[in-house]
Amino acid sequence: MAEGIRIENLIKTYGSGDTAVHALRGVNMSVAKGEVVGLIGPSGSGKSTLLKCLGAVIEPTSGRMTIGDRVIYDDGWKVGDLRALRRDLIGFIFQAPYLIPFLDVTDNVALLPMLAGKSNAQARKEARKLLEALDVAHRAAAMPSQLSGGEQQRVAIARALVNRPPVILADEPTAPLDSVRALAVVDLLNTMARQFETAIIIVTHDEKIIPTFRRLYNIRDGVTVEEAPAGSPGPDDAGKS
Amino acid sequence: MISLAGRDILHGWGKFVLTGVGLGLLIGVTLSMAGVYRGMIDDAQALLDNSGADLWVVQKDTLGPYAEPSSLNEDTERPIRAMAGVDRAAGVTYLTMQIAHQGKDVRVMVVGAEFAQPGEPGQPPHLIAGRRIVQAHYEAVADVKTGFAIGDQVKVRRNTFRIVGLTSRMVSSGGDPMLFLSLKDAQEAQFEKDSDAIVRQRARTASSPVLNPPGNPAVLEAVNAAQAGSTNVNAVLVTVAAGSDPDAVAAAIRRWQRVTVYTRAQMEEILVDKMIANSARQIGMFLVILAIVSAAIVAFIIYTMTIGKIREIAVLKLIGTRNRTIAGMILQQALGLGLIGFAVGKIAASFWAPFFPKYVLLLPADSVRGFLAVMAICALASLLAIHAALKVDPAEAIGG
Ligand SMILES: Nc1ncnc2c1ncn2[C@@H]1O[C@H](COP(=O)(O)OP(=O)(O)O)[C@@H](O)[C@H]1O
Ligand SMILES: [Mg+2]
Repeated sequence: MAEGIRIENLIKTYGSGDTAVHALRGVNMSVAKGEVVGLIGPSGSGKSTLLKCLGAVIEPTSGRMTIGDRVIYDDGWKVGDLRALRRDLIGFIFQAPYLIPFLDVTDNVALLPMLAGKSNAQARKEARKLLEALDVAHRAAAMPSQLSGGEQQRVAIARALVNRPPVILADEPTAPLDSVRALAVVDLLNTMARQFETAIIIVTHDEKIIPTFRRLYNIRDGVTVEEAPAGSPGPDDAGKS
Repeated sequence: MISLAGRDILHGWGKFVLTGVGLGLLIGVTLSMAGVYRGMIDDAQALLDNSGADLWVVQKDTLGPYAEPSSLNEDTERPIRAMAGVDRAAGVTYLTMQIAHQGKDVRVMVVGAEFAQPGEPGQPPHLIAGRRIVQAHYEAVADVKTGFAIGDQVKVRRNTFRIVGLTSRMVSSGGDPMLFLSLKDAQEAQFEKDSDAIVRQRARTASSPVLNPPGNPAVLEAVNAAQAGSTNVNAVLVTVAAGSDPDAVAAAIRRWQRVTVYTRAQMEEILVDKMIANSARQIGMFLVILAIVSAAIVAFIIYTMTIGKIREIAVLKLIGTRNRTIAGMILQQALGLGLIGFAVGKIAASFWAPFFPKYVLLLPADSVRGFLAVMAICALASLLAIHAALKVDPAEAIGG
């Protein structure tokens, strides 16, 4: 499979001198396009810090980051416009859907292609396609407050996918859900990863979904250890869900 | 790209419109204050225009007749009339008083003018009903704002007058409508003492051996006759002959008479710069305070609206929205609030202007200025919220 995102020896230190916090001490990670991996670790281990570095909202201290064959970071940013980078290369899914309350479902999704400079009509067309793929097209004209929690989460996933980013970062996307819904969301993300050839990293400490990951990174004290969860399907089962 | 500001306003339009209406009433008050000021200036100019005079001759070293008391003998007019460059000259009296009419007190400015010939300065330049004063006594012409009608009888001091004509836009610099009488009648009203005073003065005269020498009753009669009545006026209004320079004529009158003479420009300065100046400063203070209050309201509302959207703003930033777009959204909302406010304010001011007791003149130019000021204030007031929004860290959208 083609490479989605690769991180080599990523280091992030908050502050300096005596008060320095070594949040990431040398993280290595690689996720292929179409693959979903889990990122777990105890509280304070550096999960959020890693996600923020990957999401280009905080600057790492050193290391190397590539998306596809594009070098994003190599001991310093290699792209001038981080906003455009986030808009075009990275999709975000949060703990809560965080939809824009004053935009209807279609425009919540269409906003991203619009920000990327597409016409309203084109952007809405792309949004509707995603809403159909996520089975919420029938709520296209509704306002976010009129949707159920599950519908909101689907719209949020559609928004993360609409610009066809090579990478999606999901921050505890199943935290507020019961296990049936949580597993459904992970299932959906797996389907979407394959359908849109996206590398998806899911940060979680949700015990219900951990067994579903074929690949899992466990981060402790700022260092990642790759592990295969017990009872998880082997690589041969790729494609089933 | 869609308008984020517009969508946000539509989503919460009830609150937005209510705030806009509240702001609008404040703007309406502001526009009315400006209108009151313009009305005062317009009243002053109407007073000068409608007097028909080019020059005002008043008691020496006074700012009369409107800003200060001034008293001249009416004979002053005769030598002035004879001077080169002078077309007409006529004495006038001004006296502000309350007149009872149909059970109500009406505050009027009684104007005494020479009605012997039409067109003398001091007469009302146009009538909207009835006729001019033709008899020497007991006829009056009233401004419509007095509420008097033709044929009404009104009592001024001891005499009763019949309203024979109506005029309009004839008000004092204080906005009181005018009541025109013949000069003689007005002088009597202004300078004549009441009966008590006359009785007392006659008694004093009679008891004085100088004014009432024993054995010569004719002297007492003569003295009493001299004391009765008055031949004083408050000012002499002068029109200059065509082709003459008012300044030159004024200079000539000053040289030959012991009087003070004002040109139209000087009179306007006295009325506008001296009499109205304090009121203007008063109104100016109100305008400043209202502007600050409006700015504070807009700033507070827009800031609250923005703070309520901090999470959405963090998400917008995270997914790649530019600072410019977010600042634009907040600015547009502030301007939208200003737009609603101005529209409501303009309508409110136009609606309630006629109910003001004094003339409220809403100039279109003032509305344009007010609109620009509202927009500037709203833009300024949005800076605080824009600052807060730009400080939002997109990392906040990702949990800690
Ligand atoms: N902005 C910051 N400044 C200083 N230290 C921070 C900051 N953010 C996180 N940390 C520290 O970095 C470490 C990793 O935190 P975090 O990435 O939030 O872990 P997790 O998400 O796994 O709980 C913790 O010790 C935390 O206190
Ligand atoms: Mg965390």
